[in-house]
Amino acid sequence: MAQTNKNRRGQMPSRGQTASRGQTALSTADKIAPVILVLGAILSVLGFVLAFTIAPPVNGARVDGIAIIGDQMVGNQMLFSQKIFYFHMPVAITSFLALGVAAFYEIRYLMTKDSDYDLKAHLATEVSLVFVVMVMFSGEMWERFEWGVWWTWDPRLTTYFILMLLVIGYFVLRAAVDDPEKRASYASVFGIITFIDVPICFMITRLVPSSVHPTIFRTDSGLSTEMMIPLMCAMFGMLFISYGLFRWRLRTERAQEELDRMKQTLDE
Amino acid sequence: MARSVQVKTPSTFTEYKILLGKDLRREFRTKEMLTSMGIYSILVLVVYGAALSQSSQGVDVLQMSGGLLWALIVFTSLLGLNRSFEHEKENGCLDGLLLVPMDRSVIFLAKATSNLLFMLVVEVIAVPLYFFFFLTGAPVSDSWPLLVWPLIVGTIGMAGIGTLLSTITVNTRGKDVMLAVLFIPLIFPLLYACVSAATVVLVGGDWQTTYLTSLALAGGYDVIMLLLSWVLYGYVISA
Amino acid sequence: MDPILEQIYATILPSAPYVIAAYALMWGALLVYVIYATVRMKKVESQIAVLQNTLDKATSTKTNSDFAAQTQEVQDESESIKKK
Repeated sequence: MAQTNKNRRGQMPSRGQTASRGQTALSTADKIAPVILVLGAILSVLGFVLAFTIAPPVNGARVDGIAIIGDQMVGNQMLFSQKIFYFHMPVAITSFLALGVAAFYEIRYLMTKDSDYDLKAHLATEVSLVFVVMVMFSGEMWERFEWGVWWTWDPRLTTYFILMLLVIGYFVLRAAVDDPEKRASYASVFGIITFIDVPICFMITRLVPSSVHPTIFRTDSGLSTEMMIPLMCAMFGMLFISYGLFRWRLRTERAQEELDRMKQTLDE
Repeated sequence: MARSVQVKTPSTFTEYKILLGKDLRREFRTKEMLTSMGIYSILVLVVYGAALSQSSQGVDVLQMSGGLLWALIVFTSLLGLNRSFEHEKENGCLDGLLLVPMDRSVIFLAKATSNLLFMLVVEVIAVPLYFFFFLTGAPVSDSWPLLVWPLIVGTIGMAGIGTLLSTITVNTRGKDVMLAVLFIPLIFPLLYACVSAATVVLVGGDWQTTYLTSLALAGGYDVIMLLLSWVLYGYVISA
Repeated sequence: MDPILEQIYATILPSAPYVIAAYALMWGALLVYVIYATVRMKKVESQIAVLQNTLDKATSTKTNSDFAAQTQEVQDESESIKKK
């Protein structure tokens, strides 16, 4: 995973990108972004299919005897609901990483006051909001079946819910400030503070032991290869998709900015 | 060469004292913040009175008392924080303040301290009232004086983050709602820890471990948030 | 069916709707975002097309050299965007 992160960093354009006025050639990042997006889609579909085919079902509660299925002895219930996990976890990790990237750009913005960094931070947060919503949806369905409730104030759930509210708050704040420079500074500061919740959310199951959460980690402790393959496909698929979406949005918004500038020039 | 004019740059601490003194003096003269926050907290207690009127006095209330107390504190602080930058904005006071060549973080520290003091004063009034109205008939544990620590730690954190956020929101449209939207999710971990610490000392039983862990969590959160707010404050106020 | 097998498979059928719903909602959310991104892109493209049209008309009618030079510059820019 560290390697992916490094790769993604490597593809980020350097500061030269900012002054894209009149620049005709596509940057490397813009060129490979669609490829990455397609690659991510393929990997995700592959992970989705593999999660339901090669990944063995996870064992649940013991049953009263042993039955032979295929050539294996089975003495436990099979849990189908665990299939949600193959995408739930990668999507969650992606949302954390996207917020991390956003926090990085927010710090860069405060250091340089370059509005391009603000745009990048804004779009990275936008992408992370999509993934946060996806995590909430999938987690909600899993929770409804496994725990039998729609909502419980479990520490992990709570901190993640708070994270979602903070990300939404980021956009509410942006919408409430008119001056672009102020908006960028305020949003950056708020985004950096928001990021504090990410490590808390990530660590919370280790810090505060809860009675319900170990159920998730029964698959985490010893994942077999057949489980790792779909999980990794989903992981990289989601990371690639998030990066591709980010670059796509960035291209559109940069074009929009340039268009606005041109309109202003025309008016004058 | 003889020095004809002596210019003394005040030390950071002097600047801090002057700024804090300005806020306190203003409050002593107008008593604007304390009265509004105090009355608001009493009104929240009245609402609680109606909300809890159907529950039997005693154990029912005791289990919820930590949470109710913190709900009271959060809403009252929100009101105070909203107003804390209002009068700085009014006569261009803030612009004057920013013209002074001094470290921006001093403004943060002074403002956070004055907010903290106002919040603590209101708590000194509101918490006994809360006890008087709701907990006189309840079997409160003997460890209740330890309630002071979560109150102090929680209020410090709320004053710190609240000062940073109210500086942001004072320049936004719909500032009252905006502060709540940003403030409440952000202090949630702190609130959670403080409520659990407050509840265990009120209910009693085997409270030591939970109390200390919660306080440690709240304290750690305070330190991180205050440091971050302190560092980032300059970007916010000069934007 | 074998009672033990029945027990083993007991949770699969009831949980299927939730698994399907989870994936449907997840992909749905992603799809909504992709649609949003597409709409934004199309909007920018159409704006560029409108601007291009006005520019073409302006350059063909006006003869003022200063203005022509200026619009030429802007046109170059819009073309560079289009290539993106």
